[in-house]
Order: sequence, then structure tokens, then C-alpha cells
Amino acid sequence: MIMLYVLLLPLIVVCIAPLLSSKKATYLSAISFLVPFFAILYCILKGCTPEISIVTLSAPIGEIYLNFDYIGHAFGLTICIVSAMVALFALPYMVHRFGEMELNVESEFKKYIFLYQFYAVSMLWLVYSGNLILLYVFLEIALITAFFLIYFYGYGNRQWVGQLYLIWSLIAGVLALAGIIIIGVTNGTLALNALVPPFATVGMIAWTLIFIGMLIELPVLGPHVWLPWAHAEAPTPLSALLSPLTVGLAGYVLLRIALIDYSFIAAYRMPILIYAIFSSIYAGFSVFKQTDFKRLLAYSTVSQMGYMLVALCLGPFGLVGLVIQYMSHAFGKSILFSSAGGIIAVHHGLRDLNKMGGLHDSVPAISNAAVIGFLNLGGMLTIGMIGEFFILRGVVETFLIPESPSFLGWTGSIPILLAVIFMFILSVWYGFYTVRKVFYGKPKDTKRLEISRYYYVPLFIIGIVSVLLVFPPLSTALIPGLNSLIQTLMQLQVAAVGGVLP
Amino acid sequence: MSNEQIVFLLLFLAPVVSSIPIALAYKSKGWTDKLPYLSVFGIFISVVMSIYILINLEGQYPYPWIPDLGINFVFMIDYLSSYMGVVTAVIAFFIAIYGLDYMKGDYRPSWYWFCFNLFTASMLLVVYSDNLFLLFVGWEGLGAASWGLIGHWFRDDDDIAYVGKAGRKVGPLEFSWPPSFGGWRAISTIRFGDVPMFLAIAAIWVFAGTLNISEIDWHTLFITLGAAGTIILMVCLLMGLFTKSAQFPFSEWLMTAMTGPTTVSALLHSATMVAAGAFVFLKLTWYIEPWHLHDVPGLEYVFIFVLAIGLLSGFYGALCGTGMRERKVLLAASTMSSIGLMFAAGATSYWIDIEVAGMNLALLVAFWYMAIHAFAKASLFLVAGHLIHGTHSRFLCGDLEFGKRMKTAFAVTIIASSFLVGIPLLTAYWVKSSMDVLYEHLWLHHDMLWPIVLLIVISLLYSAVLAKFLSLNFIKGEKPEHEHLEGGGLMKLGYVLMVAMLFVISCGIIIFEEAAHFRHAGGEAMSIGVGLAILAVFLVAVYKPSISALSRFGSFLSDRMYLPYLNDYILPKIGFFISHILDDYVNPAIDGLFNTKVIPGLFGWTSRRVRAIQSGYLSRYINIVLGLVMIILVIVVILVRGVWQ
Repeated sequence: MIMLYVLLLPLIVVCIAPLLSSKKATYLSAISFLVPFFAILYCILKGCTPEISIVTLSAPIGEIYLNFDYIGHAFGLTICIVSAMVALFALPYMVHRFGEMELNVESEFKKYIFLYQFYAVSMLWLVYSGNLILLYVFLEIALITAFFLIYFYGYGNRQWVGQLYLIWSLIAGVLALAGIIIIGVTNGTLALNALVPPFATVGMIAWTLIFIGMLIELPVLGPHVWLPWAHAEAPTPLSALLSPLTVGLAGYVLLRIALIDYSFIAAYRMPILIYAIFSSIYAGFSVFKQTDFKRLLAYSTVSQMGYMLVALCLGPFGLVGLVIQYMSHAFGKSILFSSAGGIIAVHHGLRDLNKMGGLHDSVPAISNAAVIGFLNLGGMLTIGMIGEFFILRGVVETFLIPESPSFLGWTGSIPILLAVIFMFILSVWYGFYTVRKVFYGKPKDTKRLEISRYYYVPLFIIGIVSVLLVFPPLSTALIPGLNSLIQTLMQLQVAAVGGVLP
Repeated sequence: MSNEQIVFLLLFLAPVVSSIPIALAYKSKGWTDKLPYLSVFGIFISVVMSIYILINLEGQYPYPWIPDLGINFVFMIDYLSSYMGVVTAVIAFFIAIYGLDYMKGDYRPSWYWFCFNLFTASMLLVVYSDNLFLLFVGWEGLGAASWGLIGHWFRDDDDIAYVGKAGRKVGPLEFSWPPSFGGWRAISTIRFGDVPMFLAIAAIWVFAGTLNISEIDWHTLFITLGAAGTIILMVCLLMGLFTKSAQFPFSEWLMTAMTGPTTVSALLHSATMVAAGAFVFLKLTWYIEPWHLHDVPGLEYVFIFVLAIGLLSGFYGALCGTGMRERKVLLAASTMSSIGLMFAAGATSYWIDIEVAGMNLALLVAFWYMAIHAFAKASLFLVAGHLIHGTHSRFLCGDLEFGKRMKTAFAVTIIASSFLVGIPLLTAYWVKSSMDVLYEHLWLHHDMLWPIVLLIVISLLYSAVLAKFLSLNFIKGEKPEHEHLEGGGLMKLGYVLMVAMLFVISCGIIIFEEAAHFRHAGGEAMSIGVGLAILAVFLVAVYKPSISALSRFGSFLSDRMYLPYLNDYILPKIGFFISHILDDYVNPAIDGLFNTKVIPGLFGWTSRRVRAIQSGYLSRYINIVLGLVMIILVIVVILVRGVWQ
């Protein structure tokens, strides 16, 4: 029950924060996410995974409850720490932005903090939603609040970009809703604890609708074009949540559906996998040509989301990899967007890569934080490393084990092995290429700027968390918990089908 | 907490923890001048611990991490790791002492010391780890820290930190590389091998059921995988080792890594990073025991592959070295060559089933050569750094007069180079003699003549390269333009200590039981012959270090036979062409379709059409009504005809 209050805390702050001054509101917002962060840490370490029932409705909705399992914890942990730290980062940034837009700082900040807090808290509630309809509701709240933030405080042609984002997300949301309703009607419930194999099934139509919706939301190649606009033109604190947290939640939805019924993925594994790898490599190559730092990061997001889709296709180990990949990408990308924001704020709107170079001299702390961010994306020395390991194990389990239905043998799977390997290599390539282009080389100005601590301390805290998660006691508690939960649910499905599924 | 736990914690954490203060105090000049001593002290603790481990501990020490999945902190204290740990820690410590002087007044001391210590800790992790995942953590730490160290002078503003002559173009490509580029190239090359290696580790995880190198039943594993599986798995694994060890064709990063501070070149490129690949190969081979696995299909090809790549790299590195004129790049090329010899010697273990003191001779030879090379090459690098400081030139220069003024450096260079190349009776000679015996065995018993031929050629070239380094720096080189030789006490101390270790190893060769074969092989006629040839080449090269008639061929060699074209021209051209197509054509096309042109345009068009209906003109309404009537008539006709028939 205590967890419910802990989750209510940030929700209450949504109403309180706008009443306070900008600094107090920021701190309150950060604390309201740090409390659940530590509570979740405690839960992970102690292994407590309660279910808290809120209300039970008639079919086809079923029980609405909060589901504190390891998957939720992994996502929740990430959302809490990133939201708290970005809230701190946003204080000087948004003040600077309001000044730039010639708005009244105090009154605009009230509007902003309300939207920000509401946006972040809706994502937190989303991952603990035990009912698909509740999940959908929070998904929509996140979309709308994010839309307002872009619409009010974005850059460039922000109104157009805001609408673009809203339309794409609504298409995604409506498709998902249609799929969810079908699931509800066929199974008589939408509660996750009732949608358990072997009783629950997700039909082909429902799967297709949700899958397409979430492909738009992720996004992958094709629908990906909304994302560079939205991420580049959104105010940076929003970019620092939108890219790391929100788009990845599409992966979360797919994961939840896959844990109910994996048959769709199993049936179309090869086309999805090839599409995902292609999408990831495609976006990775696109990164090299970007001249706008935030747009560059947006393409890198598309590439990383390809990893998540790849992971989805690779059986239980891949699914564990998906969760960890989400965390690692969230940590890395929030650091990177914030460092891009720091540069924008400190260097008077500098975003053009061609005008950058040697920035390490003026903003060393931001530069070093960005390195940690790229290490996260590349899966080096951070939690991403474990994620990468699970995804690679998923590849082996899926294609190289003779019992697997997708068995290809060593020589037969060489193309897939090469593609997956290349996909992973690419992120480190573009990462360190960007670091060199932005921060290293001949500096234009060797004067070290005095910058606000808000611009880099939160980033290092995220970075430290991402490293600590690799080592005991956190990984010792989290990884086996995730693994056994996912393995159990997948085993249930295998038992239901009566064969060897993934 | 047990004694051993504390030892391991101190061993790995002391260097990292001791460099955190300097990382945090990056803004204060006062602190960053003093705190390096603390960092060096952290490495000193590692030295003490590694010696303690060498003396007191043996066997496997597992501690839980993620036990359910077989990912654990497992340390293996065996012959290889206990000695290699000491070698690594001691070398890092000596270089750190040297670095106190060398890096004084640098513009980024916090970065340097943090990366340096992180690097040392990572290398120790690679050395002691038995668990492949844990090893890979250290492995990635090496990659990240080396990136930071190589690109340390990120401003690219000092010509002394470049590799290649500024502005010198060969074809369309400028043969000059700044530090920030060196760093990027290092990590991009290394990553190219790391991911396949990680895949191989994941496959071992699945098929062997354990990640602990010493516990894996390699024979069953290889049999399960079959010939194709074995080859693919091993090649994936070797990709990581070859890229890290800068074997052909992944050697370019090592050459441009010379853009880093000399201490970094000494640490990374003698005993640690590049040796890590060879060391892990030895460690794996130690437990694979390939000499017992002749029934495994495909395994022989793997070892022939390693032998060939090793010798090819050895040949390529030594040959390129003969033409080089940059101090550190010359040493880098010779390092590549030496590492190649280690790989090759280790690979011969497949055919060599000779036991010395319970250990495989081939692996012993490779390992001892690695240790000797580490100390000798580190000394040479440190001398090169001092010379660069003293003469303000990256290029070989210095005459006898200069040599007399740099007596210590001169003496250290003579010792280090002559002890390393294999001149009779000097340290490396004994190990090289055993190496000759190994290859002779391949020739006599397995009909492989090419390895021994290549080995002898490499040895002679190698001798010439180091003799050239000696001669052109201290004896026959040009007179340096600038000289400032004062100071540098700690630098001298660093390389004197380093070279002194060669004498310690010599004592080991005399005393140790496992060195019996070295002593024996040193007396064989063939070894003596090769040794004398090496000596002759060495003397000739000292006497005549450059041949002007061959200068064009020399510059072909010093351009690394135009291998940079692969890295800097062909591959980037392909990559950027793909990026160009995708980002300049495909992305705008998709964007145009969905967001800016086609679909929004269609909406606009439809909307205008619909709105046009409500224009108020009677003629338009009549047209619409008439049109509808016509359509209805047509439908009716069709339907009626359908019913009629």
C-alpha cells in the first residue's frame, strides 16, 4: 500500500508545484520523483512486487490495479531518476528560454511546471498500470501534455511541429486503442493479471493494430520522420524526456503484449527482425549527416529504438534485453539531450555542428557528461552492456540452438549475425564521431565559461546510476528478477501452445 | 570480509578511487598539481597487491554477482595471471612516476590521471578475470580509457602531438593525424572487434553453460558446435583480440594512437592494451589445450589462421618500421610486430605438445616474450618521450654529441634494444631460441616451412628497426635544432627502473625451472646462428641506419604501404556515400510523403474541392446534379443488364 502513496506523491505535486516559486517548484518536483526512485530501489533490493487493486469494473475492462512487478520497476526506476534530474536541469534552462521568448518568467514557469510534472507522472503511472485501458489513458495524457510543451515553448515553427507530433501520436494511440478494445472483447478483461496464458490470446488483428501503432510511436523507418522534427524543435527538457522515456514506452507496450501472446512475433519474426535491423542501421547512417545537434540525437533515438524492436524478436532473453536497453538508452539520451541543451543555453542558441568543435574547452563538464551518454548508447561499461549481452544471447538462442523453431545453423545465420554486430558497432561509431566533432578539435574559444551547476550535476548523477546498475547489489537484484519474470511468462505460453515457442 | 576479498578490492579499486579526487578538483590548479601523487599511490597499492597475490594466492576465487546467470566475479590466479598482473602493475607504476614529471603543466591533468588509472584497473581486471563477462568489463574499460588517453590533447593545436607531417598529401589523402582523430580511430577500430567478441562470449554462455574460462569444457563445446560453428565462434572471438592487438589489417589505430602523450604510448602499447589481445589468446589457449584436441574438426584452421595473421603482422610491422622516421611511430610498428610474434608463438601450441614444468612450451615462450617485450618496449617509449621533450621533435634526430649529454637515456636505449632483439646471451635471446625451436618443430614434423622462414626474416628486420632507433637518436642522427635537457629527474628514474627489470627477468631465466628449455635451446646451433645474424644486422644498422638509395621505398614503408587509404579513404567514402543517399534523398522523400508535401497536399486538395462545392453558383450545382444523374443512370444500366442476362 505504501507504494501507492509513493506514486501519488508526484501526482499531488502536479497540483501544488504551480503555486510555488520556480526554484521551490523545481525542487519539489525533483524530490517527488526521487522519493519513488528510492522506494523502487528498495523494492528491487527486497524483491517486493505487490499488486494494489484500485477498482474492479465489469467486462471487458476488468480489474484496474497497479502492478509493481520487476518490469514495471525497471521502467519506473528509469523514469523517476531521469524525470527528477531533468527537472533540475530545466530550472535555469527554462528561465533562459522564457527570457529568450520575452515571456514573464514566474507566470510561465507555473504553466510549464504543471505540464512537465503531469507529463512525467503520467509515464510513471503508465508503467505501473495493471490494466491496458489505464495504460492507454496515461499514454494519451503523456502525448497531450508533451504536445502542449512543444506548442508553447518549442523552437522554430513550433506550432506546426506540435501538430505534427500530435497527429502522429494520435494515429498511434487510436490504433493501439482499437487493438486493446479487441483484446478486451475477446478475453473479457483488460487486467494484466487476468490476461495470462494459456487462457488469454491476442488475435492477429489486435496484434497488428497495436504493432503498427507502436511502430509509429517507437518509431521505426518509415514513420520515423515525425521524430526528428519533434525532438529537435521541442524545448530541451522535453526532448530529454520525450526521446529517452516516451518513445521507448512503445517498446514497453509491445513487451506487455508479447508476454501475453508471443505468437504474432514468432510468426513474423524474420520480416520484423530484418526491418528492425535495417531501420536501426539506416538511422545510424543518417546520424552522420546531421548538422543540428538535437536532430542528430533524434536520429540516434530512431537507431536505438531499432535495437528494442530487434530485442522483441529474440525470445525471452531478447525481451530482458529490451527492458535493459530501454534503461540504458533513457540514461544515455537524457544526458545527451541535456548536454545539447546546456550548449544551447551557454553558447547562445548554438546547435549547428559546423559551428561547433573544441567546445570541451569552454564547457568541460558538459562534454564529459556527453561522453558518458554515448557510452550508454554504445553499451560500454554501463547498464547497456548487460542489455547488449542479453540481446546477443537472444540471437544465439533464436538462431543457433537446434531446438529453436527459427534455427538457421551457424553458416545459415551469418548474415543475421553480421547485421546485428554491425548495428551495435554503428552506435559507438557515430557516438564518438559526434563527440570529436562537437567537443574536440581546435577550439574557437579557450575561455572556460562559468556555467550553472544545474547544467551538469544532474547529468553526472544519471551517469553514475547507469554505471552503478551494472554492479552489485543493484544488478544482482534487478537482472535475475527481470529474467525469471519474463522466463516464467514465456514458459506459460510455451506450455499453452504445447511446443517450443521462442 | 575475507582477506582475499580485501586484496582484490584494493587491487582493482585503489587506482580508480585514488584518481576520483583529482577528477573532481579539475577546476583548481593548486589541487591538480598535488593530487597526481595520490593517483600514483593508488597504483602503488595495486603493485603491492599483485605481488601479494603472486606469492600467496593460487586457484580460483569466485564472488557472486548475478549467480543465476553465471555472471560472477571470478578471479583465476594461475601462472599466467599472477605474473602478468605483477608485470602490468609494475609497468603502470613506473610509467606513472615518469608521468609525474612528463605531464607537469598539462592542460587537462584530471582527465589524464583519471583515464590512466581507470586504464590500469581495467587491464588488471582483464588479467585476473576468469569470467568472460567480467573480463569483457575490463576489456571495454580498456577501450574507453584508451580513447580518452590517446585523444588527451584534444585541442589538436600542437604539432608535437600529431602523427605524420602536417600538410603532406599522398594522393587525395593528407597523411597527418591529430590527437582527437587518433582517439576516434582507436575506439572505432576496437569496437569493430569487440561486438563480435561479445557475441562469441554470448554463444559460449549458451552452449557451454558457464562463462568461467577454466571451467568450460572446451572439447565438448567444440564438438557440439561442429566445424563451422567452431570456426565462426573462434573467428568472432579473435576479431576482438586482433583489433585490440592491432594485428593486420587493424593496425592503423596503433600508429595514430601515437598522438597521445608518450606515457600513454608506453603504457598502452607495450605491456597492456595491445598485449591484452595476445594475453587473452594465451589465457584461452592455456585452458583450451588445443594440443589435446586434434580430433576437433576445424580447430586446426583456426590456429593456422592465428599463426598466419601473427606472422603477417610481425612481418608487416617490422618492414614498415625500417622506413619510419617518427620516433614513436617506429616503436609502434615494432610493437605490432612483437605482438604478432606472441600470437604466432601461442598458436604453435596446437602442434607442440612439449611440457616444461607441467606447462606447454609454446605458451611459455609466448608469455615470457611478452614480459620481456613489455619492459623493454616501455623503456624505449619512455626514452622516446624524454627525447621528444628534450629536442622538441617527433622525428628521429640526435648525434653522438647529443647522446653523450643524454647519457642515461643513451645507455637505457642500448640495453633495452639489444636485450629485446635477441642478440646472443642477452635476455630475449633465450626465449627467442626456444621460439626458433618451436618453428623448427613445425618445419620438421608438420611440413610447415614458411613459419620459420618468416620468423627469421622478422627477427632480422626487427633488429634493424631497433638499431636504427638507437643510431638515429644518439649516434648518427642529425643534430637536434632545440635542446633543453635540464630537469626530468623522475623521467630518468622511470625508465631506469623499467630497464632494470630486464635484468630481473634474466635472473629468472637462469633460476626458474620452467626456463630450463630456454637455457637448453640457447645452446642449439640454429639458435646461435640466428642470434649471430641478428647481432650482425644490429651492428650494420647502427653503423648505417639509413640508405639514401632506398628512400623512395622507405617512404612507401613509412606510409604503412598506404594502408591508411583503407581506413581514411575507402571506408569513410563508402559510409558517407550511404549517409548521403539516405539523408539527402530518402529522408526528405519520406518527410515529403508524410509531413510536408504529398499527404498534407492531398488533404489540402480534397478540402479545397469539398469547399468548392459550396460556392453558391447555380451552374455548379446543376453540373453536380447532372453528373450524379449520369452516374446513377450508368449504374442502373449495368445492373439491369446484369439482371437481364
